[in-house]
Amino acid sequence: MPFREINSRMIEAVVAPGQRLFSQRGAMLAYRGDVSFTPNVQGGQGGFASMIGRRVAGEATPLMTVEGSGTVLFGHGGHHVQVIELAGDTLYVEADRLLAFDGTLEQGTMFMGSQGGVMGMVRGQVTGQGLFTTTLKGHGSVAVMAHGGVIEVPITPQRPVHVDPQAYVAHHGDVRNKLSTALGWRDMVGRGSGEAFQLELSGSGAVYVQASEEKL
Amino acid sequence: MFRLQGSKVLAVDMTGDAVKAKNGSMVAYDGQMAFKKLSGGGEGIRGMVTRRLTGEQMTMMEVKGHGTCWFADRASEINLVDLQGDKLYVESSNLLATDAGLRTGTSFTGVRGASQGNGLFTTTVEGHGQAALLSDGPAVVLRVSAQYPLTVDPGAYIAHQGNVRQSFQSGVTFRTFMGEGGGEAFQIRFEGDGLVYVQPSERNTIAGDV
Repeated sequence: MPFREINSRMIEAVVAPGQRLFSQRGAMLAYRGDVSFTPNVQGGQGGFASMIGRRVAGEATPLMTVEGSGTVLFGHGGHHVQVIELAGDTLYVEADRLLAFDGTLEQGTMFMGSQGGVMGMVRGQVTGQGLFTTTLKGHGSVAVMAHGGVIEVPITPQRPVHVDPQAYVAHHGDVRNKLSTALGWRDMVGRGSGEAFQLELSGSGAVYVQASEEKL
Repeated sequence: MFRLQGSKVLAVDMTGDAVKAKNGSMVAYDGQMAFKKLSGGGEGIRGMVTRRLTGEQMTMMEVKGHGTCWFADRASEINLVDLQGDKLYVESSNLLATDAGLRTGTSFTGVRGASQGNGLFTTTVEGHGQAALLSDGPAVVLRVSAQYPLTVDPGAYIAHQGNVRQSFQSGVTFRTFMGEGGGEAFQIRFEGDGLVYVQPSERNTIAGDV
């Protein structure tokens, strides 16, 4: 596949004619060959309507289209980079964590409130992720940034996984998420364990968790 | 059981037992878990008062349940330490998690503590079990023996265990006062028999400035 990990913070992408990929604007470190970088006003694919959608949703990150033939190195801010291979399923990720992804992937925006109703909206507020998230669907690879290394935790129907909202990076598969609270009287009097809010992910798939509780 | 997943994430498999961990350091879990803040590090009223008085604040929580719990803190490297009845001295900010069976307490360090920028007291961990230490960058474990004493930069020191005496060394000279110091005016010297954990990074200390 087009992405190869050079080290934990840098990836190399192979670009061939007729294939394009998207990357965060300014994330190119070096390139070899004849490659052009076009700022993408639309912030991804899907035409004008999608662009408006992303603007409204606040999920518009400055992207650029990478085309031509050659190899390109990507990295950003010294963050760890995790390459995730998609085989037909959907990846849910915050737009600002996207470093680069295949042009063949179908990009979309999802309203978090549609999962979990009011609690879904509260979730977005608490986690600081807003009400919308970006989805990528299809066959291809995605490079996602995280602070510290990333671990993959599998989710099976018997074993739902709880994740600290600040450490959550992305998830894929058929997964429902909701915000679960463990607020007790201790939290009210300032004696909480610091784990009052958790994301509960259930279904089947996998969640990516970073080794840090800092946002990017 | 403590195990490392990568170098920055600690996975703990639990079957109804408990661990003590730094407040808010859980990143994910599966199964059933309960989180409870331990006031004063679970050392009882006496320990709580001691910690207040000494300023060696440590907010820990007790995690109990069935399943696997993952811990991490600001992408710091994690080091596992096995304790067989001996005593580990560690800065409270460098302690990520311990077995619930291990006792924690405070101990006086003298001038060394002040030079590290961590106060005059340090945290002790004692008993049989495992502890996880945090370090900025992968830590090295250096052995101290009778023939080979060890001298460490206070800002890079994270923990030590064994039968070790520590003394404080200063290389303050006339030049230091002139602002021409080498940045290594203070050191901790370890003598005896034991292990010292050192991180490849230096905290901001008074010693580093002169």
